[in-house]
Amino acid sequence: MIIYNPNDEDIIKERIEETQKILDSIPAKYCFISGSFLFKKDYRDIDIFIISRTKKEIKVINKKINIIRIDFNDIYSLFYHSASKSCIAKNILPKKPLKVTIADYWDVINEAVPTVLNEKDKYHKNIRFLVLYTEYLKNNQILDTYELRRKIEKFKNFGEILEYIKQEIPLIINKQAKKSYIKRYFYTQAGYYKDSIDYKSQKYLYELSHNIVKGVA
Amino acid sequence: MVEVDEFKTKIRSMISQEYSLEFLGNNFEQIVKTISDSKAQSIYNWIQKVIERKIQPITIGSKKQYKDWKISELMTFRYAFNLNNVEYRILFVKVKNSFYIEFHLGDHKYYDKVRKSLDLKKGNY
Repeated sequence: MIIYNPNDEDIIKERIEETQKILDSIPAKYCFISGSFLFKKDYRDIDIFIISRTKKEIKVINKKINIIRIDFNDIYSLFYHSASKSCIAKNILPKKPLKVTIADYWDVINEAVPTVLNEKDKYHKNIRFLVLYTEYLKNNQILDTYELRRKIEKFKNFGEILEYIKQEIPLIINKQAKKSYIKRYFYTQAGYYKDSIDYKSQKYLYELSHNIVKGVA
Repeated sequence: MVEVDEFKTKIRSMISQEYSLEFLGNNFEQIVKTISDSKAQSIYNWIQKVIERKIQPITIGSKKQYKDWKISELMTFRYAFNLNNVEYRILFVKVKNSFYIEFHLGDHKYYDKVRKSLDLKKGNY
């Protein structure tokens, strides 16, 4: 068993033993547990991540266990780097250098905006990728699942998230990408939103695309 | 509990269009049969809001083809609900400023599959 804990957070002692038992029962070489089960007395789910090439279903009796499969081709992703940053793993976990693109980031934003506007009070689960990407591209810091949860809890309402997107994203993208790429990519995106601008989310994304090109928040 | 045909007829009558909406999903019929009347009513209420443009769509600026359309011509509305501790999702697909083409209903696995074909999911990011 390997404990990854770069921030030296307090892992609940009894949970280490429990984690080992759970991981031993999982028929996979590369699997790990991260999240609130390790750090919080009260937890809702036990997130078990399994890295595997096969799609064979793994059945577990414990109803609190939530299995998340990660394909070997996805271990370069920010999602994997975040989930595995602070965790307890059965074996040493495979690592590949992180690969993050502006197009991936935009896909995340594109889905987060309508979802936040639809869910309003139940946005917490749906902004994980948004916050993860934004914090990484802004501060070069990969948040682990626990840090991510704390960051998300700081938002008081969905309005604050929309404001966060509006303020942070044009500056981040202008810092990370070349002007010529930004112009080409975001003018094209704005064109797609134009057809459905009568929807709040599409209008927001249309204006955001233009602000990114202009480089203003 | 809801009858499958009744469920489909109700949704078709709500959107009232000539184009025949397709109902899709690996276990579509079994899932519908386990939906309670009150859950079905919540789904109808959500569809009414979609029709009234009160629900925000997800659109993708992708030139890829999906059946007879380019993905950038489509918009997708998403609804999640829970039945006996299993999460299910509806993806309701519409051609922008035109008719509805598909009503997908399924579990997380099916949802991921449809998302991939609609270019909404490109891996684990």
